Amino acid sequence: MVLARELGKRFLLLVLVLFLVTLFTSLLLSMTPGDPVDTLLPVADENSEEVQQRKAEVRERLNLDEPLWTQYTAWLGDFVRGDFGDYFRVSGEDPVGDTVKEALPVSLQLMVYSQILALLIAIPVGVVAAYRAGSWFDKGANTTAFALLSVPSFVLGLALAYYIGVWLNWVPPSGYVPFGEDAVEHVKRMVLPALSLAAAQIAVYMRLLRSDMMQTLQEDFVQMARSKGISDRRVLWRHALRPSSLTLLTVAGLNVGTLIGNALVIEVLFSIPGLGTAIFQAITERQYVALQSFVAIIAIIFVLVNFAVDVLYTVVDPRIRHARARS
Amino acid sequence: MPEPVADRVPTAAAPAGNGAEPVEAAPTRKLGLMGWLSLIWLVGITLAAVLAPVLPLSDPDESFLRIVREPPIQPGHLLGGDGNGRDILARVIYGTRTSLTISVGAVGLGLIVGGFLGLVAGFFRGRIDTILSTLFNVLLAIPSLVLLLALVTIYASSDENASNARRMVVLIVALAIVSVPLLGRITRASTLAWSEREFVKAAAVLGARPWRIMFREVLPNVLPAMMSITLLGIGIAIVFEGAISLLGLGVSDVPSWGNMIASGRPELARAPHIVAIPSIAIFLTVLSLNYLGDVIRARFDVREAVL
Amino acid sequence: MSRASVRSSRRGGARRWAVLIALAVLATACASVSSGSTQPSGGDDDDADAGPPQYGGRMVYGLEAETTSGWCLQEAQLAISGIQVARAIYDTLTVPDGEGGFRPFLAQSVEPNADYTQWTITLREGVVFHDGSPLTAEVVKNNLDAYRGEYPARSSLLFSFVLQDIETVEVTGPLEVTVTTSRPWVAFPSFLYSSGRLGITGQAQLDDAENCGRNLIGTGPFKLEEWRVNDHLTVVRNENYWRTDENGNQLPYLDEIEFRPMVEAQQRVNALKSGEIDAFHVSSNTGALTIDEMRALDEAEQVNLAESEANAEVGFLMLNATRPPFNNPIARRAAALALERELSNEILSRGIATLANGPFPPGSIGYVEETGYESDDPEQARELVEQYERETGERLAFQIGGPPDPETVALVALAREQFEAVGMDVSTTTFEQSALIQTAIEKNYDALTFRNYPALDPDNLYVWWYNGETNPVNFMGFNDPEVNDLLDRGRVTADPAQRNEIYQELNRELARENYMLWASWTIWAVPMQPEFHNVVGARPPDGGSDYEGLALGHDMALVWKEQ
Repeated sequence: MVLARELGKRFLLLVLVLFLVTLFTSLLLSMTPGDPVDTLLPVADENSEEVQQRKAEVRERLNLDEPLWTQYTAWLGDFVRGDFGDYFRVSGEDPVGDTVKEALPVSLQLMVYSQILALLIAIPVGVVAAYRAGSWFDKGANTTAFALLSVPSFVLGLALAYYIGVWLNWVPPSGYVPFGEDAVEHVKRMVLPALSLAAAQIAVYMRLLRSDMMQTLQEDFVQMARSKGISDRRVLWRHALRPSSLTLLTVAGLNVGTLIGNALVIEVLFSIPGLGTAIFQAITERQYVALQSFVAIIAIIFVLVNFAVDVLYTVVDPRIRHARARS
Repeated sequence: MPEPVADRVPTAAAPAGNGAEPVEAAPTRKLGLMGWLSLIWLVGITLAAVLAPVLPLSDPDESFLRIVREPPIQPGHLLGGDGNGRDILARVIYGTRTSLTISVGAVGLGLIVGGFLGLVAGFFRGRIDTILSTLFNVLLAIPSLVLLLALVTIYASSDENASNARRMVVLIVALAIVSVPLLGRITRASTLAWSEREFVKAAAVLGARPWRIMFREVLPNVLPAMMSITLLGIGIAIVFEGAISLLGLGVSDVPSWGNMIASGRPELARAPHIVAIPSIAIFLTVLSLNYLGDVIRARFDVREAVL
Repeated sequence: MSRASVRSSRRGGARRWAVLIALAVLATACASVSSGSTQPSGGDDDDADAGPPQYGGRMVYGLEAETTSGWCLQEAQLAISGIQVARAIYDTLTVPDGEGGFRPFLAQSVEPNADYTQWTITLREGVVFHDGSPLTAEVVKNNLDAYRGEYPARSSLLFSFVLQDIETVEVTGPLEVTVTTSRPWVAFPSFLYSSGRLGITGQAQLDDAENCGRNLIGTGPFKLEEWRVNDHLTVVRNENYWRTDENGNQLPYLDEIEFRPMVEAQQRVNALKSGEIDAFHVSSNTGALTIDEMRALDEAEQVNLAESEANAEVGFLMLNATRPPFNNPIARRAAALALERELSNEILSRGIATLANGPFPPGSIGYVEETGYESDDPEQARELVEQYERETGERLAFQIGGPPDPETVALVALAREQFEAVGMDVSTTTFEQSALIQTAIEKNYDALTFRNYPALDPDNLYVWWYNGETNPVNFMGFNDPEVNDLLDRGRVTADPAQRNEIYQELNRELARENYMLWASWTIWAVPMQPEFHNVVGARPPDGGSDYEGLALGHDMALVWKEQ
C-alpha cells in the first residue's frame, strides 16, 4: 500500500516535471531577445516581398502570433508524434527528426561504452580497495580517484587526442565509423572519447563501491559465509558485491546528466556525429527550433532514466528502503 | 519523509558528492598537509588575481617576438609564451581574475538565491516546499551544461549583443541559474534535518518567530553543508567556463583559463605548454576546492544530514 | 557547411536572397585571415630529373575535410577537399592556363560572337562517361540548365545566382551547345570553370533523385570505386579516358587513388611521415607551420613538395564604411598604417606568408607590384588618429569581430594590440558563422576578419564590391563611383590587356580607400612521398602553359609514381 502510494506520488511528480520541462524548452525560442524569425533567417534584403512572405510563412509555421499556450500545445502535439520541427533555411526546411535519428544512437553508443569502461575498471579496483582497506593500494586508488574527479573531461580528451592519437598515432584522434561498417575501426575511434568520459565516472564508482563494500563486509551474512570457510575471493565476488550492484546501477543512472553534458564537449572535440555535435551545429547556425527539440529530448530521456532508477530503488531493494525509513 | 534518490547525488559534474568516503583527512579533525596545500593554493591564486595590476608582470596582451611558442623558463618570462608571443604567466594570472570572477560571482549569486529558497523550503515545508522542490527538479531535469549552453547562446550570441561585458554577465547569470537548484536542494535537505532538532523545536515553543528561528537557529547549522557544496560548485563553474570557451561561446576579450586552452589547441603538438599551463591551473584549483569541500563535510559531519 | 546544401528548394521565389546568403556562407567557409609563403610560384622542382612518367601505382591522399553531402555537383557547395575529389572524377568544359586566360578542356572550343552575348561550345568527339554513355550536346545542355536552376530534377542553389545572366542554352548540333546571355559576358569561359566546381555529370547521375551525391558518373580520369563517409573514398583508373599527355600516352598514370579525410594538419603530417599516406594538401591558413616543416623535409629530400600561392585566397580585415569611425577615410587609413604586418607574419607563421597588397595575387588579372597599399607605419598612424580626434571630437574607437576559431582569435588579438599602440580604443568579439554573416549583411559591425574565395577572373568579384547602398553583400557598404565604373567596364571589355589595366586600376583604387585591410595571400602546398611526381594545377590539353595555382586542387591525371 505504502509502496503503491509512494509510486503514485513519484509518477505524478514525473508528469509535472515533464510538463514544466517541455514548457520551458518549447518557449526557448520565444524567449530570445528580438523577433525570433529574424534570428532564424538572416536576411540579405529586408524589404523585398519574397523575404516578407517567407518570414510570414515561418511565423505561421511556428505559431508565433498565437498565445504562448497555443504555441506550447501545438509544439507538444508535433513533438509526441515525432515531428521535431525543422532546420529553417532561407530556401526551405530540413526535418530535425532525420538528424535525431542519426545522431541519437551515436551518442547513446558513446555513453554506454564509457559506462562499461568505467565499470570494468572501477569494480575490481573498488573491490580490492575495500578488501585491503588502508593498504597502499587502497590509498593509491583513493588519491587517484580524487585527482580524476578534478580533471575536466575536455582536458583529458585533449591530452588523449594529441598524445595517443596524434603523437603516438596509435588510434585515429577523431572521427566516427559505424559499427556495422567496420567494427575494428569503430572501436578504435571510440576508445579515446569513451575513456575521456569514463575517467570521472571511474572515480565515482570506485569510491562508492569501496565505501559500500566496507559496510557490507561488516554485515552478518558475510561474516557467516566467511566463518563457514568459504574463500575470501568467493565471499568478495559472490556475496559482498551483489548488494552493492544496485547502488552502482542507481548512481550510473543518475550520472547520465553529467555524462550528457560532458559528452557534448567530447563529441565536438573528437568530431563524433552525435547529439552533442548536432547541438553545437544548431547553436553555430542558430537553428533554435532544432536546439529546442534537442534540449527537450535530452531532458526527457534524463527525467525518465531518473524516474526508472527511482522506482527501481523504491521497489527492489528493501534493505535500502528500510535504512531510509530508519533515518 | 524519504528524500528522492536524486538527493543522494548532487547532480551534474558534482565531484566527490556521491556518498563516498572523503579521502584520508576525513577522520581527523584537522586540515592535514593536503588541506593546507589546498588552502594555500586557493589563497595564493586569489591574491594574485586581485593584485595582478600591481605585480611585476608583463602586459598580458603584449606580444614579444622572441617568446613565441617558447616553453617555460625564459628570461623575464617564467612560463614562456603563447602562439602570439604573449607572456603566459601574466595571462594565466589575469585569466585567474576572469575565471574566478565568473565562477565565484555565479555560485555566490546561486548561493544567495538557492540557499534562501532551500532554507525556506526546508523550514516551512508544506506547499511552498512542494513548489520549490518541483522547481529545483525541473531545473535539474536538463543537464546543466546543456541548459547553460542554451541560455548563453540565446542571450549572448545574437549579433548586436555580442559585446564581451554582456557575455560575461550572461555567463554569470546562466551559471547562477544552473547552480540554484543544486545549492537549493542541499540546503533544503540539511534544513529539513536540522529543523527536527530539539533546540529548534524548543525555540519555537519559547515563542520565537519562525523567520527568526530560521535565520538564528537553523541557518548557522546549515552553513557548513552550504559551504561545502559551494566549494564544489565553484569548481564545476570553472570547468563549465572552460567548456563554454572551448565551444567558442566564452569571453574572448580578456584572458580566461578556458579561452587560453581554446587558443592553444592548434599549437598542442608543437607547444604543449600553452594548453598545459591553464589546464594545470584548472586542475589544481578544482582539486583544492574539492578537497576543502570534503574536509568541511567530514568535519561538520554534513554528509549524514545531507544524504 | 554540408547542412547548408538544401535538397528541396521548395521556394523558388525566395531564391535570390537565399543565394546571396549561400554565397556569403561559402565566402566565409573558413573566414580566418591567412598567413602564407614567399615562393613566388609553385610546381614541383624535383620533376625535371625524375625522368619520363611511369604507369601504375596507388596513391593515398589526405584531405583536410570530408564532403559529407557528396558530389551532386549542381547542388553542392564544394570546398577545396571536395573540389580535389571532383577533379579526379569529373571534367570541366574549360580550364585556366598559365597566362590568366581560360582554354577548352572537355570542350573542343568555346567561341563568342562579336559582342560576347552568345557563346558556342563545341564538344570533343568520342568522349564517354564512366557508365558508357556518350558525351552529347544534350547532356551538356542539361548540365548547364541544372547549374543555372532550370532543370526540373535538380535544384541548384549557388550557381543559379552565379549563372543568372544566361538567357538560354540550346542544342545546336550533336556536339554543339549555344549559350545566349542577357549581357555581354566576356569572362564567360571562366564561369564554365567556376573554381573547378562546374564538372559535367552523366545523365544518369543528373536524373538520380535519391542518390545524386553518391552515384558519381563523370568523364574524368578516375572512376568511383568505393566511398565510406569519413573514412575513405577510392577511385580507380578510367581506361577509356579521352586525354593523352604531350607524347600521346594515355592518361592517367596512376591505377588507383584513395582519398582520406584527416582534419588536423598534424595528423596528416604524422601519417605522411609514417608512410600511412603518400600525399596531402595543406594551406597556410591553418598549417603555416606545417608548410615550414615540409619545406625542411623537402630540402632533405624526404618529401617532394609542390607549393603555390597563385590565385590564392586573400585574408583581410573589412571595415564598415557606412558608419563611424570607418566611414571616415582618415580612420581607415590610420587603421591600415597601424597594422605591423611584417611582425604579425613573423609571430604567427614564422614569416612564411607573402603580405598582400590587394585582392589579386601575382599571376592574376589585375595584379600590380605597387598598388600603393601602405601599412607598418605606427608613427603616421598615430598622427592620423590625432587628426581624426581633432576633426571629429571623438576617440577613434571600434570593435573587431571574427569567427571563434583559435587562429582568427590569435590574429585579432594581435591586431588589437597594434591598433591600441597607436592610440585607438579597441575591443574584440567573436561571432558564430551565421551570426558573422548576418552581422556583415546588416552592416552591424566596425571591423570583421574575412577571407574571400579564389576568383580566377576578377569579374567574379563584381557582386562583392558593386554599389553597397543597394547590394547587401557588399559587406563594407561602400558606394564608390570609381569602383562601380571599373567593375562595369571590366565586365564588358574583351581585350585582355585592357581588362588587365581596368582591374589594376581597381586594385589601386581599393588600396587608396582602405575599405579592406589586406593580410596575406594563402599558400597551398602538396607534400608527397619522394617517389611521387607531377603536381600541376591544370594543364590545357591542346597546348598552352600550365596553370600553377593549387588553391583549387590539382590535376590528378598527371600525377605518377616512380616504380
